[in-house]
Amino acid sequence: MSDTAQLASDAGSRDPAVGLRAVRALRILVDRLEALQVENAREQGWSWQEIAYCLEVTRQAVHKKYAGGRGLLRREK
Amino acid sequence: MFERFHQESRQAVSLAQENARRLRHDHCGTEHLLLGLLDQRSCLVSRVLGRHGLDYERAYQAVVRLTPGRRAPALDAEALESIGIDLSAIRERVEAAFGPGSLDRDPVTTRNGRRSGRHIPFSPGAKKALELSLRETLALKQKGIRDGHLLLGILREGRGLASRVIADAGIDAGSLRGEITVELSSGGP
Repeated sequence: MSDTAQLASDAGSRDPAVGLRAVRALRILVDRLEALQVENAREQGWSWQEIAYCLEVTRQAVHKKYAGGRGLLRREK
Repeated sequence: MFERFHQESRQAVSLAQENARRLRHDHCGTEHLLLGLLDQRSCLVSRVLGRHGLDYERAYQAVVRLTPGRRAPALDAEALESIGIDLSAIRERVEAAFGPGSLDRDPVTTRNGRRSGRHIPFSPGAKKALELSLRETLALKQKGIRDGHLLLGILREGRGLASRVIADAGIDAGSLRGEITVELSSGGP
């Protein structure tokens, strides 16, 4: 895994299995970061509207994705 | 109803939540309640199920096996590196801002209470089992809901993954009920 030569060849690889796996890994990372940042924003008192504006999505979209359950993220308005 | 819960039962519910988080599941079901009970090694449920060879580790592995694909995907450092992204550098910065394990929701961190994560909603089956534990307590003419009563509630609910894990371990639900009831009535520790 730490074989740098192998990794360098992966980076330039046109093998879809390698490329698609990278895309998937990136998407998971983005989801994880988004959840963390949305939670942080809510903790700092941001409204769903403000968060949605920054993410360039609708308020409904961000609310639907993160406001489920009764946890810390669930706050009125 | 929660005001009737003994400390060990409150702890079991909170450990159930933690186990659901550790497994990255989006709900807290009977299987997580069972793990919460077994996560308290010295309590009644652990002792009784231990006699039948079902301990926390074994139950945890069984839950993992029974819930394929429900586990949120892990971060793939190798794949990210193949497109020039250094996950360890990202993790370092995120953790500097949000604390250790924040990118991975490290269970050890949640145990310390910091960034304990949000409440994971109970499944209908788990809610039912919790309600039934109160009924089991009253049926035994006892007052507080102890960890044994929680297990009786889970067994009474009967359709959840917890019952499956117990059955798969070769434990008969009927005789288990009997053993738990005896222990609860003997007023053990």
